[in-house]
Amino acid sequence: MSEQQIIDGCIRHSRKAQQLLWKQYSGFLLGVCSRYASDRPEAEDMLQEAFLKIFFNLKDYAGTGSFKGWLRKVTVNTAITYYHKNLRYKHNIDIDEYMTTETGTRGFEEDFYTAEDLYRVLGELSPGYRTVFNLYTVEGYKHHEIAEMLNIDLNTSKSQYSRARAVLRKKLEELGKIKKNYT
Amino acid sequence: MAEEERDIELENLFRKKLDGSEIEPGSDLTGRFMSRLEHREFFRFNPARFNLYYLTAAAAAILAAGILIFSHADEGSQNPVAGNPVPQAETGVRPADPPAAATIIVVNNQITPVRYARAPASTDEVHSAGGNDSQGRNTNIIIPTRQADAPMKVAGQSGNPEIALRYKGMPRPVIEMSESSGCVPLRVRFRNATSWSSSVLWSFGDGGTSTESEADYIFDLPGNYTVTLILTDAKGRTSVTSTIVEAWPVPKAAFEIPENDVSLTDGKVEFRNLSVGATHYLWDFGDDVSSGLNEPEHKYDRYGKYDVTLTAFSENGCADSVTVADLFTDAGTYIRFPNAFIPNAGGPTGGYYSQITDEANQVFHAVSSGVSSCNLKIYSKDGMMVFESDDLSMGWDGYYKGQLCTPGVYIWKARGSWRNGQAIVMAGDVILLKY
Repeated sequence: MSEQQIIDGCIRHSRKAQQLLWKQYSGFLLGVCSRYASDRPEAEDMLQEAFLKIFFNLKDYAGTGSFKGWLRKVTVNTAITYYHKNLRYKHNIDIDEYMTTETGTRGFEEDFYTAEDLYRVLGELSPGYRTVFNLYTVEGYKHHEIAEMLNIDLNTSKSQYSRARAVLRKKLEELGKIKKNYT
Repeated sequence: MAEEERDIELENLFRKKLDGSEIEPGSDLTGRFMSRLEHREFFRFNPARFNLYYLTAAAAAILAAGILIFSHADEGSQNPVAGNPVPQAETGVRPADPPAAATIIVVNNQITPVRYARAPASTDEVHSAGGNDSQGRNTNIIIPTRQADAPMKVAGQSGNPEIALRYKGMPRPVIEMSESSGCVPLRVRFRNATSWSSSVLWSFGDGGTSTESEADYIFDLPGNYTVTLILTDAKGRTSVTSTIVEAWPVPKAAFEIPENDVSLTDGKVEFRNLSVGATHYLWDFGDDVSSGLNEPEHKYDRYGKYDVTLTAFSENGCADSVTVADLFTDAGTYIRFPNAFIPNAGGPTGGYYSQITDEANQVFHAVSSGVSSCNLKIYSKDGMMVFESDDLSMGWDGYYKGQLCTPGVYIWKARGSWRNGQAIVMAGDVILLKY
């Protein structure tokens, strides 16, 4: 089945087309969700929500732009909905996280860290930091767009981003030391 | 050197490694999702698939068909029954039955011997039967068509609620009852005090019937009910009597407390009475004080857990009460102080705080509700007072005489009062962090 056939099938709620769509994109979208979730169960939950949204709103996909990009956008929006749901924990930031200031500007050795390592350090971040960091760095949104999406102040987005960056750097360096000792 | 060149920025690391990276979901997640999808689709309207809406529509159609079939099936048998004892009374006086059936005595002042005419089936014909019959003779047949109003018409002249429609020479039935009036639900025990009857039929005036000689009956709704007793003797002769039961309505007790009185804003509470159908009231405020006023006002000295009960009485003395438990607690009132703050490094902010300064946690101040006044003093470790305020909307910005205080522990002390007058005395410490 071609991509267009799968999409049409899903709009008709054909079970077979839905299964094919899931098979083809669930891995990619679980990757997206894992960046926004603090652990695997949360990521899986987000993924299911995202797919429900995809299946029920597929008829709104205009067909312009890449389908994969649309799927990703829906998934990121689901992650933001999740973030809003957990809003009451937004201000709960670890005091270590808050007090960390960026040390050094050394680069990182690309092949040394695996994707799992990066998912893990992201998962340890507080939801607010993680969401802002992901939206800015990986999704490529501007700070004023992020502020609007998350309903926060522009400066909050900026400061959360720079703090997130500092914490990630520190965590990666710590992880690097441990890894070097083991190898 | 080659290794150095492969070093990249943090952002690039995350972007390269994570953008487009895939994680295999595993077959159990796939299974879980598919069943969730199926479940969700079932509850969503979609004409192309079987779902809840189809099921509901099908169920409604089956139900409608069922009702239609049953109502048709019932039609034949419903009219003679209808919970109405009168047709039975008619069968008792049919001329075919006993020889004495030719006359009926109607208990009013004129006892008129009448020719019996066959009881017509419909009520309209009953009324027309009281005219001239085919032979031109005056007929005066009163056949109770409805147990409530027909006997009353007869009783109207004598003013006696008890009437009897009976054979000549037959004794009138005697009803014994435990109560003739009371509050709903009214439970009355009826007894047939006659010994000669061979069959008994009670009709309680609200559709209920009984064939027991002694019947316990509960009147759920207020109203005046005509209770009819029809006795039949061994020869099939019938005698009827009736009596009235008054079931009084019960009031509904209800009250309301204005929202800001619940938190004892000034200790005084105005109770609003929302009771229906009552004429007088009894309030129990839960602090050993009570009142008989309609809408009383009461002052509570302190927060607590009070159970307020309102009992409402009707003119007949029927009562209903409602209790609201655990009122006027201090649950809505609080005062809390943070244990750390980070003064603005750029200079004193003056201590007036807002949402923006709160985000940055630049001002040390209380978070409170239900406080009327509060004096806050802050001391350094060596006992010097660095801040004092009587204004709840002003906190400490971390400066003393324009100088940023040294990071460390400071002691605070708060004295004040809650809005109901109870005192607040609190103390604690706070860490001044360096920005």
